[in-house]
Amino acid sequence: MTIVLFGGALAGAVRASLQPDPFSGAYTLSAWRSVVTDAAFRDAVAFTLVTTVAATVLSVVLALPVAAALRGRAWARTVAALPVLVPHLLVAILAVLWLGPGGLADRLLGGMPLDVVRSRSGVGIVLVYVAKEVPFLALLLLAAWDDDIAAREEAAAVHGAGPVARFRHVVVPGLRGPLTLGTLVVAAFVFGSFEVPLLVGPTQPDTIATYALRVTRIADLSGRADAAAALLVATAGSVLLAVVAGATVRRHRA
Amino acid sequence: MRETRTSAGWGHLLGVLVVAPLLVLPVRAAADVWRAPALLPHELGTRGFDVLASPGTRVGEAVVTSLLVAVVATCVGMLLAWPAARGLAAVPAGARPALVAVLAMPLLVPQFATGTGLTTWFLRLGLADRAAGLVLAHLVYLLPYAVLILAPAFDDRVRRLEEAARTAGAGTLARLRFVTLPAAARPLTVAALLGFLVSWSQYGTSLAVGGGRLTLPVVLLPFVERDPQVAATLSLVFLVPPLVALGVVAAAWRRSSVRP
Repeated sequence: MTIVLFGGALAGAVRASLQPDPFSGAYTLSAWRSVVTDAAFRDAVAFTLVTTVAATVLSVVLALPVAAALRGRAWARTVAALPVLVPHLLVAILAVLWLGPGGLADRLLGGMPLDVVRSRSGVGIVLVYVAKEVPFLALLLLAAWDDDIAAREEAAAVHGAGPVARFRHVVVPGLRGPLTLGTLVVAAFVFGSFEVPLLVGPTQPDTIATYALRVTRIADLSGRADAAAALLVATAGSVLLAVVAGATVRRHRA
Repeated sequence: MRETRTSAGWGHLLGVLVVAPLLVLPVRAAADVWRAPALLPHELGTRGFDVLASPGTRVGEAVVTSLLVAVVATCVGMLLAWPAARGLAAVPAGARPALVAVLAMPLLVPQFATGTGLTTWFLRLGLADRAAGLVLAHLVYLLPYAVLILAPAFDDRVRRLEEAARTAGAGTLARLRFVTLPAAARPLTVAALLGFLVSWSQYGTSLAVGGGRLTLPVVLLPFVERDPQVAATLSLVFLVPPLVALGVVAAAWRRSSVRP
């Protein structure tokens, strides 16, 4: 069922991208040509890649110490579960109310030290995803951070390994599986980000998904085809990411 | 000892970081007048609710659509995920990762991409602008989660129990009622909750597929710039299902930590 719907969606997108004029029914590559030669699309790809890398790296780096702090604390785990369950859209709204122009932080500090919401640098998008994905990654890591790893940490400590060495040589290798999986999921989320940049991202540059929305809204039949072509680029990026992550996991297992 | 205390401090800090930002929502929702740079609202009132209740905004309709779609998508999702999860559990362990990867693939693809692709078919099938179209589109994201959560429930232990019940003469229905359902109750609850939330939170697919059929997130987004008070009021409505889910998850965790 998933495969039928999902395959259907992909096939529909490919078809739409090749058929800019549904009345004539002719297939052309014109949508692909117009998207690839559009400078705004290339900016969108670059912007999407930068925000994806920044948000993913920051989330992973922060998630490890947060997971360490949460170990063995049931109530803290419950608190950390809340951001995982709250929709991205809501986190973006909170970012606007707190950090936007005239928001609470603006009022408290009497002026923001740097623009977060709608900033061209994309810092707002990165911040929303970090806030949402650090708890997600921390919970994922906690689920795998079991007694076995704890016992090995203890053994390493007995042999004189300091906290940093224990972390590097015992904890990180033990958590490699969930860490890779989590990184992949986070990167894919940010890569496809849509409602978050609509609220806290700049008008220019777009992310790939908001670019697609913008060209769809241009009152012209070719807009749909351009959007489909752009979204297929995003889809290909996500799939490529998954293949790379899968290959990494397999290599480490072998 | 010192390490424990520091990490308790971190835990508290995390709690504050998670809960405090949410507190702005009820304040903003109740603030009829709140001009910058004042830190507290000038006037409290119910203007947010009044705007939402006025017929022009179509908010009530969107909330009903969201609820209906989420409930139907969850029920259909569970019915489809159940046999799929059983099938997945029966697959030899070697082949499972590849199957899981294929199953999880839609989760990695941008929602707006899936929605736009589906729309080209739904327009022909007459499913665009319909709740049924929204349900189908949401299932693309709901099903993978549901199957992945349910699959571990059907391990060898459950199959041995079913086998024993069969040997003891229990029929198909009795086995389902007294053996399989109780054994899978917890993953089934988690899968249903998460499935509901996945559908409830969908924005990209709903915007692409829904057309004139609005859902709560789709009506909510434009209000953020146009009228923050209304946006905050709607956000509180939007927040109810995640909070309920959190309560259920927390209760389940507490129970599992009490057990030996």
